[in-house]
Amino acid sequence: MGGRDTDVVLLDENGIRSDGRKVNETRKVTIKAGVLKNASGSAYIEFGGNKILAGVFGPRDVHPKHMSNPDTGILRVRYHMEPFSVDERKKPAPSRREIEISKVIKEALEPAVMLEKFPRTAVDVYLEVLQADGGTRCAALDAASVALADAGIPMRDLVCSCAAGKAADALILDVNNEEDQAGQADMPIGYMPNLGKITLLQLDGVLTADEYKKCIELGLEGCKQVYEIQKNALREKYFSSGDNN
Amino acid sequence: MKKFESKKRYVLPGDFITTAPLRLQNNVVLEGKRVIATSIGLSDVSADSVRVIPLTGVYLPKIDDLVIGTIQYIFGNSWFADINSCYQGMLLGQDVFGRGSYPTTSEMKERLDTGDIIFAKIANSDRQREPLISIADQSLGKIDSGELVKISPTKIPRLIGKHGSMIQTIEASTNATITVGQNGLIVVSCDETNGLLKALTAIRMVDEQAHLVNLTDKVKKMLESNGV
Amino acid sequence: MVNLSIIDKLKRSKILDLLQEGKRIDDRALDEHRPLVIDTGVIPHANGSARVRLGDTEIVSGIKVQPDRPFPDMGDKGIFICTAEILPLAHPSAETGPPQPDVIELARVVDRGIRESGMIDLSQFVLEKDKSVIGLFADCVVTDHDGNLFDACSYAAVAAIITSKIPKWEMKDDIPVLMENQESDAPITTIPISVTMGRIGEFIIVDPNIDEWGCLDARITITTNSDGNIVALQKGGSDGFTLEQLVKCSELSITIGKKIREIVKQATEGGQ
Repeated sequence: MGGRDTDVVLLDENGIRSDGRKVNETRKVTIKAGVLKNASGSAYIEFGGNKILAGVFGPRDVHPKHMSNPDTGILRVRYHMEPFSVDERKKPAPSRREIEISKVIKEALEPAVMLEKFPRTAVDVYLEVLQADGGTRCAALDAASVALADAGIPMRDLVCSCAAGKAADALILDVNNEEDQAGQADMPIGYMPNLGKITLLQLDGVLTADEYKKCIELGLEGCKQVYEIQKNALREKYFSSGDNN
Repeated sequence: MKKFESKKRYVLPGDFITTAPLRLQNNVVLEGKRVIATSIGLSDVSADSVRVIPLTGVYLPKIDDLVIGTIQYIFGNSWFADINSCYQGMLLGQDVFGRGSYPTTSEMKERLDTGDIIFAKIANSDRQREPLISIADQSLGKIDSGELVKISPTKIPRLIGKHGSMIQTIEASTNATITVGQNGLIVVSCDETNGLLKALTAIRMVDEQAHLVNLTDKVKKMLESNGV
Repeated sequence: MVNLSIIDKLKRSKILDLLQEGKRIDDRALDEHRPLVIDTGVIPHANGSARVRLGDTEIVSGIKVQPDRPFPDMGDKGIFICTAEILPLAHPSAETGPPQPDVIELARVVDRGIRESGMIDLSQFVLEKDKSVIGLFADCVVTDHDGNLFDACSYAAVAAIITSKIPKWEMKDDIPVLMENQESDAPITTIPISVTMGRIGEFIIVDPNIDEWGCLDARITITTNSDGNIVALQKGGSDGFTLEQLVKCSELSITIGKKIREIVKQATEGGQ
């Protein structure tokens, strides 16, 4: 078995993981669209033990003005974890990890949003992690897409996200906290199914060339499952109690 | 070749609408040969064009639109108003004081101050700078009384109705005067409290149910009933 | 900084007109607070948590309990720290970046209200005098801003503290070691309840919503404990109060505080 020493059995002889899942199973995901009064668009996601709130404002004025783009609107993303979201209390100020994740999520969303119609404005995406349980950046990206659609920001597609990885020498879908700490690889993936474009991809750990390809394929399966949940969250808010479907 | 779908369909961003070679209107994009929705809304395919009628989204100023705005501040010789858009509306001092005039800030404040509400027209909107608004018309200007309500700008066409039918129905039934801005802002005045309440309820109903088929009947029914 | 100052004139004049008739824009009485909903245990991984909805204002508070070093001159007491933050998604004018004076004031007022009441018996949080104590952090985040963050944050922190579970640590070789599965309830001595009131002209209104907040001449937050005594207060805003008005506010804070204390007790039943 690879990774750090642990008492936890990551994968038993029946192919069952530490939290009872099979290798190609994601944790439970629920998403609700339009949960905040003030934000233009919002979404709340529970992805396993992750609880994340997404709020979107805009398109709106950019301050300071020199940051605005005369040809197109810009996208700004802030991923932030609450002090009580993790095991050891985290200080409120943004850490380098949060800043990097903010950038990575922004670059995952940029291919999807169409801001050319809104020059000199910004669309602000705020992602607040209320409880973290492994794979927060994927869950945050899932919520961000729904919140952007809820706000009416034109998008080529929703971006869905899920992580795949390797633990106990097996490729697994949706790496949880324990597997992230003690496993062999963690690969978060962001995907636009309509265009077949992968817009978020990172890797922590070691994979062979063959494992790498299979890991992405496994991750995309998870992404597509979340895609349906994202769509249903929006359908529920906008299309339900309608007789035209 | 995919046959035309004349029936409106609910769509989400990324949903496929059709592959027919059609003129692309609002809220759609061409990916290769496929026409894709870019907004949450109703797809609308006609003989020669395709669009999505959005159910959410910010107001984008269009020339000649009538809008309601709130004065935010005065800068140079212009007022700047919040018009519930991603851009502020710019109202030139000259629009109010006459061409070639240079009103002082205190003269301007006296006419229109921060917090004042105006009914204005979009005079120019070229995306390169703030849209110009004007209150030079008789029917435009400062709104002194009434209740300011905000709904999604995407629901305004439904609130107005075909040739103004919905808004006229509400006004006639409640004796309220309703000033509607294309930007989602509405001012309702009514002498009777009951009329005011009914008008506000009708507006709320349109905001929540604009995409449903029997909305007109439901609103009529509510207006005719005794309570709300 | 949350800039609430540009309230449209129609709304302001409506608020003032209604007050003359003893009414408010959301149909409440002058001394009525908005519907208050408290859910506890919403962040199961934290030691305690609560989500409060006061009207449309929403706050989430999480409690983290961990070993810490005591303050230099208080070696026989544990540590209690309460913070508050307005998240940028709570309101279009909420900014990111280091906290502005209004947010700092919010955090400090909420902290003082709970600290000065002696709500948590910090003497029970000592692991080794002068060396190692238990620290309890109550972090409140505003997720939706519809006015009166002072009370909403305070109720969230209080409910979270009441229902929090304190782990047990034992000193082994000068290091605190966690004893698994030996949690206990937080040592609560009293339940502090804050009540915020605003003055518009000669009228005192309880629990101003965001529209009323923009019209206030002055405001005051008064915190009372379970005995009905006043333990903390803060006046804010650019104008003042007469002595009569202050006395009235204190009376309101006691009677309304009592009602809200019952709501908090009900919501935290089983936790304490």
